[in-house]
Amino acid sequence: MSIFSKNSPPDNGEDKIANEQAEDYPETVSVSTEQSAPYEQMVRNELVNRPGIAKPSIISEGFTFEGTITSDGILNIAGKVRGKITAKSVLIDASGQVDGELNSEQLVIKGQLNGEVNCDDLNIGPLARVDGSISYKYIHIQRGSKVSGKFIKN
Amino acid sequence: MAEVNQLGCLFVGEGVVLKGNFQVPDIASISGVIEGELTAKQILIEATGVVHGKLSGESIDIRGEANESVSSTRSLIIRSTGKVTGSIHYSEIEIEKGGHLHGDLHNINPHS
Repeated sequence: MSIFSKNSPPDNGEDKIANEQAEDYPETVSVSTEQSAPYEQMVRNELVNRPGIAKPSIISEGFTFEGTITSDGILNIAGKVRGKITAKSVLIDASGQVDGELNSEQLVIKGQLNGEVNCDDLNIGPLARVDGSISYKYIHIQRGSKVSGKFIKN
Repeated sequence: MAEVNQLGCLFVGEGVVLKGNFQVPDIASISGVIEGELTAKQILIEATGVVHGKLSGESIDIRGEANESVSSTRSLIIRSTGKVTGSIHYSEIEIEKGGHLHGDLHNINPHS
């Protein structure tokens, strides 16, 4: 019996939370029905502003870019880039080639990279060729890759 | 770790400190501390193992610390708990996520 009495208060607590959520839910529904047009607009704006949903910028195979690339989102490189790249997340594809400076939070290298790299999360794939000065927080190098240069852990 | 045939092997237990240069014909498994050079066919540095000095061998597997230079003619694996500072010469390398690498990296045969 004591076990039951101990268990029962948290059960009630959960019920209360469930009730509160159930009470909250119709309110939000009523808001969305009353002001349907502005609400939809708000949702649409949110979708645009959310970086997780953002489409990647792609430099395709056969394309050569020289200069500076700056992006808050995802960048996929299957072509050639010479210059400076700053982006949140960068993927250098198997056919991709980068010469220059690269700053990003996440970096996946499956192709070739020569230059200076500054990133948080670095993943070097099995066919990658990397040469340069690399500073990182977390690193993962897969077997088979050819990597040389200076490595600095932040 | 206690294999039946321990011919040509070196096992350094946790808490043991060895000073000097060591030539090991087969496996060197290090859970303690080595101060000096270590050469072996196969080197395993366990999570508690620390080496201050040059490491060279065919296959090297690092779960602990290597503090000077590492040279591997076949395969080098730095596990997630591994920490390497200094210059590294390798022919095949793998670093698990979380592994720590601070220094210069050189490929022995870059054109293969």
